[in-house]
Amino acid sequence: MSSFARMKFYCDDKRCIDCDGCSVACAEAHELPVGISRRKVVLLNEGVEGKEFSTSIACMHCTDAPCEQVCPVDCFYIREDGIVLHNKDICIGCGYCLYACPFGAPQFPKDGAFGTRGVMDKCTMCAGGPAETNSAHERKLYGQNRIAEGKVPVCAAMCSTKALLVGDSEDVSKIYRERISSKGHGVQSVPYGWSTAYGN
Amino acid sequence: MKKILLLCLGYFSLYARVISGSVPLASQDIAPRSGGDLLVSSELVQNILNYQQWGELFTYLQVHWFRLLFAVILIGVILVFAIHYMIIGAKVFNENCPHVLVYPMFQRVVHWIAALSFVLIVPTGLIMEFGKYLGGGEFVRISRHIHSIGTVIFIIVFIPLFYVWVRAMLLSFRDDTRWIYMLGGYLNKKHIKVPAGKFNAGQKMWFWMAILGGFVMIITGGAMYFENFDIALLQKLNLDQVDLLRISAIVHNFMGMAILALFITHLYMSLFAIKGSLQSMITGYKSVHELKYLHHSFYKKLLSKKLISEDYQED
Repeated sequence: MSSFARMKFYCDDKRCIDCDGCSVACAEAHELPVGISRRKVVLLNEGVEGKEFSTSIACMHCTDAPCEQVCPVDCFYIREDGIVLHNKDICIGCGYCLYACPFGAPQFPKDGAFGTRGVMDKCTMCAGGPAETNSAHERKLYGQNRIAEGKVPVCAAMCSTKALLVGDSEDVSKIYRERISSKGHGVQSVPYGWSTAYGN
Repeated sequence: MKKILLLCLGYFSLYARVISGSVPLASQDIAPRSGGDLLVSSELVQNILNYQQWGELFTYLQVHWFRLLFAVILIGVILVFAIHYMIIGAKVFNENCPHVLVYPMFQRVVHWIAALSFVLIVPTGLIMEFGKYLGGGEFVRISRHIHSIGTVIFIIVFIPLFYVWVRAMLLSFRDDTRWIYMLGGYLNKKHIKVPAGKFNAGQKMWFWMAILGGFVMIITGGAMYFENFDIALLQKLNLDQVDLLRISAIVHNFMGMAILALFITHLYMSLFAIKGSLQSMITGYKSVHELKYLHHSFYKKLLSKKLISEDYQED
């Protein structure tokens, strides 16, 4: 067994109340430009009785992340705890990671005088980027590095119903199991998107 | 008459539906049922629904094939021509004989503008494809912008290019099949009378690749450049915007390979394989001697029109 944590996101769609708080908190914490949301709350099966649910989606920091594989300039790197990050000084903004992503996570802010597609921006699980940790440069390019400060990523930290969890895979699984057993009935399916992001 | 009217009306309503976006979205029960996926509607999570269809295909091709195939074509085609140059060498024709104006001024200007756009587009495309060996960053990013600027030039010259040469480039079955059968006589040092009009089958191949392939490149490249648009046609095909981008990237890469191969061929032919070929596109004149052998049908046509005479020294 590896002694490293394997960081994962989990959004409990039985608890998510579609409040958009995570998305707003993220945008504020990282001072994202208008039009960029690293995290999105989506309402699915809207109006279909008994099937309507909402969930919060951002970069899932996949195992064998497809974005990392398709990048033509190899600007991605995966930390030992599984967080998928990229180097904005190397990224050329070609958009291939968006095409490869199953979650629509990569975003492309408009850049420069001609308003062309700039370099990619995505959820960093509040772990900054390759620039010097907690430097102004890192903060400007990637937002806060809360992980380095020992804080929980801001989206999960502020989630009012604690639907959105983030942390080591085993810890998240434990909470998830406890929730199911305390409910004592019904079958909880695999969280939305997990099989795509982390395999079976 | 009534039937035609009805038919027109039918087409129009279909057209209106497709363009105006009133085509209904995918039916509710085509969502993936695997694992914990409870999705039933395709409207909201745009990327996820069809990931297995196009997302995985794009990822597979980009990870395993595109870069490899580009490398094989780039190195392979250059190598083949290097060997050809060493073994067979250039074709040399007598320049001290009468010359005929083959490319008037306008054609040459159009050609060189198109050439400029290709010189901007092709290398920058390769720089992006092999960006990881160049370290990415500002250099590759600027190449990406030059790729777009070259495209604007190509779009401007696209219609004139088509217009000036389309008639001469129409296929003539008799000459072209024979030309392809003998590979244009390029596997031979000797001067053979090659069946070809003003343009031979190889030149026609390159022209149609540049026009039709170029058109496909403009459309797919434009889709990837503008990225964000919504056409009802996509919904009819049960595709999301991002699927169109994925398909565009796949088509753009494969078409790019074909264009790259023929672009290198064109460079080799004009710069190395036929002496004086580059000069003819600068001055517009080709020697009668060259026309007699490389464009024999064109030569015979000029003879019959009495625009040239047969009495000149061949060597």
